[in-house]
Amino acid sequence: MTVRRLLKATTLSLALALGAGPVFAEGVLRIGRESDSKTLDPIRTAENLDIWIANNLNATLVRSNREATDIEPDLAESWTISDDGLTYVFTLREALFSDGSPVTADDVVFSLLRVRDDPASAWASNYANIADVEATDDRTVTVTLTEPSAPFLATLSMVMAAIVPEAIAGPMGEDFGSEPVGAGAFRLKEWRRGEVLILEANPHYYEEGLPILDTVEWRAVTEDNTRILQVQGGQLDAALFVPFNRIAELEATPGINVHLDPSTRTDHIIFNHENEILANPLVRQAIAHATDREAIVQVVTFGHGTVANSYIPGGAQFYNPDNPARTFDLDGARALMEEAGVGGIALDLMIQSGDEVEAQIAVLLQQQWQEIGVDLSITRVDPSQWFDILMEGDFDMSTVYWTNDMIDADQKVSFGFVGDAMMNFLTRYENPDLSALVLEARSSTDPERRQEIYYEVQRVAEEDAVLLNLYYSPFRNISRDGIEGFYQNPLGRIYLETVSVE
Amino acid sequence: MNRYRFVLLRPLQLVPVLIGISLVSFLLIHALPGDPVRTLVGMRAPPDVVERIRAYYGLDQPVIVQYFYFLRSLAEGELGRSVVYRMPVSDLLASRAGPTLFLLVYATLLGIVLTIALSVTAARNRGRWPDQTIRAFSTIGLGFPSFWIGLMLILVFSVRLGLFPVSGAGQGFVDRLHHLFLPAFTIALALSAVLTRTLRASLIEQMDADHVTAARSRGVGDKDVFWRHVVPNSLIPTINLLGVNLGWLISGTVVVETVFSVPGLGFLMTSSIFARDYMTVQAITLVFALATVLITFLVDVVTVALDPRVRM
Repeated sequence: MTVRRLLKATTLSLALALGAGPVFAEGVLRIGRESDSKTLDPIRTAENLDIWIANNLNATLVRSNREATDIEPDLAESWTISDDGLTYVFTLREALFSDGSPVTADDVVFSLLRVRDDPASAWASNYANIADVEATDDRTVTVTLTEPSAPFLATLSMVMAAIVPEAIAGPMGEDFGSEPVGAGAFRLKEWRRGEVLILEANPHYYEEGLPILDTVEWRAVTEDNTRILQVQGGQLDAALFVPFNRIAELEATPGINVHLDPSTRTDHIIFNHENEILANPLVRQAIAHATDREAIVQVVTFGHGTVANSYIPGGAQFYNPDNPARTFDLDGARALMEEAGVGGIALDLMIQSGDEVEAQIAVLLQQQWQEIGVDLSITRVDPSQWFDILMEGDFDMSTVYWTNDMIDADQKVSFGFVGDAMMNFLTRYENPDLSALVLEARSSTDPERRQEIYYEVQRVAEEDAVLLNLYYSPFRNISRDGIEGFYQNPLGRIYLETVSVE
Repeated sequence: MNRYRFVLLRPLQLVPVLIGISLVSFLLIHALPGDPVRTLVGMRAPPDVVERIRAYYGLDQPVIVQYFYFLRSLAEGELGRSVVYRMPVSDLLASRAGPTLFLLVYATLLGIVLTIALSVTAARNRGRWPDQTIRAFSTIGLGFPSFWIGLMLILVFSVRLGLFPVSGAGQGFVDRLHHLFLPAFTIALALSAVLTRTLRASLIEQMDADHVTAARSRGVGDKDVFWRHVVPNSLIPTINLLGVNLGWLISGTVVVETVFSVPGLGFLMTSSIFARDYMTVQAITLVFALATVLITFLVDVVTVALDPRVRM
């Protein structure tokens, strides 16, 4: 292998010396996924199908590192933060967009104001704390905030804050999503809607020697088993989202590598605290104790998930591995029900139709909660209606899941406990003291104080049984032998730039 | 009186028909609960962001006002923009039309071949077991829904035998023929079940016709009588029926493309209904309606041209 590499390198240097340019292709990677993307404009989408591609097309001022544990420089090579935490000054590196034009401070101003102000921006609220963005000179950008924000750099590392060329994205408006230009490792080569989306290496990418691949094809192959068959048959090199029940068999298949990379996905059951029965903390606690999370992990994820002991995703920032979770304890549960004095109760669990995993969870819970006199009915609703019902509050309980978009714990904790229009993860739970703490953690620059608060939030979430934390599960991808470096980080970013093909 | 006068009149009748279809489909899709914006922004976006985006796309307007916006953009020659794909609907449809057209032509050709083979076999073996079997097939074929037949074909030929891909449309002509064989065959089966009954009946009718007996008495050979006299004269009612069924075929692609995940207009239609992508559903409905009306029109022209007695 080393000899081959050496040969390749020699050929390349010879070719370059002769002025012929590269003469061989480093390869094509064909990835199968369930569905095609819809738009590649990072501010207009919240769907993973779009975001996971946009990640590879774009660069941001700062980015999370490969394992999503810290922030590192991207287009900004350095930055300073004022003592009051309100002013950030970024110094840009010399970098080019994929069309060869330079990344300027004006493009940064344009991009950050665009995600904040564009009427179609899906992420406007995440950037509403930006008071102003100014280009001090060609290479320097000053951002001022309305209030100090501990997660601000993490917010800037999300692809929604990608730096895009003003000269192109400005006039194109919505059509930019079909013909995007960014400063990432790849650029869009061809897009046959519904079939295949083809990326090619961005020759202007600022990182030396990256990407290794020439071309990446994202193919839409709807059916899970077909994607697997196509990897086995050599029509695909990799496939995303393998069903849990196929993992063991694929791990034993020669020529196939299974990647169970850690994700931040956490599956929950939310309670509607406006429901008279569920408003009683004793009932919620009893239900939590009657829930055998280990059994759910075994049946639903075939043992590939882990029991969730906390509201914060396992391994994510400020996650407390020793959080005191409510254990499976039927006697305790029955005692709590007795103390609550409610006797037999009837409750309804809402799930989204067509989701097999949710249906399995619902049936398991139905059986488990029977033991403490909970008569659980299951209502399946159309996915396009589901969220409206959650917002209106016309439900008792619902299955939900969460994945982090950024490395900072604030995003999910705020969604669950800051008490804003999202009604604490739609539970209608009220705890003003805890909400005040969450706001303090958001503006605090002291990591120890933040950890203290987030540990407290995790404790209270289990103590009050605000919602049920069921299980954590990994990404489930496969690749064929000869594909090196296929990796999806906990935030869902697939590191295509370091993948190579034999 | 010109027999072809309807050629001029028919397009005028088309306008009210299309307006009616668009109004009904518009009201139907808007009557469904849910809206497209929540899927775009995910569950994290607070209500004010959702409201702003709804307003940006005009979804906060009363349905009837939205319908007039739609008519206005039609008058300007545009189909509007897809909220879900964030691109002009006309571009979206153009990018998805290829597999559907391919599938339609493929299915029609397969259907015609199957129909002729079955009808001729049945007619020439009238009353004997091949005839009985084929008649049973067309009765059963009429009764089975195509999504079920599609699933069975997938199970047997793709999953068990591994002869055909389960989904997709393939790259290039040969690959596409391979990928779309099962979906085309599913449609062709349903189509030939309908057509075989008619063609068999008219073949038999023609075989007993006076002009055929006359031809025989002139000493024309059996084969020549059948292929030159019986078959051509039997085709007219079948062509008419084929025309009527082509309209049905177009709507059949919605089901078959969804079962086989063919990235064409039909699959786009179902996914757009689920995503509440109003403009796309609306546009595909119009395109399908227009295609159906046009095909019926063409079949009428062909029938008038083939048979001098027919008046429209």
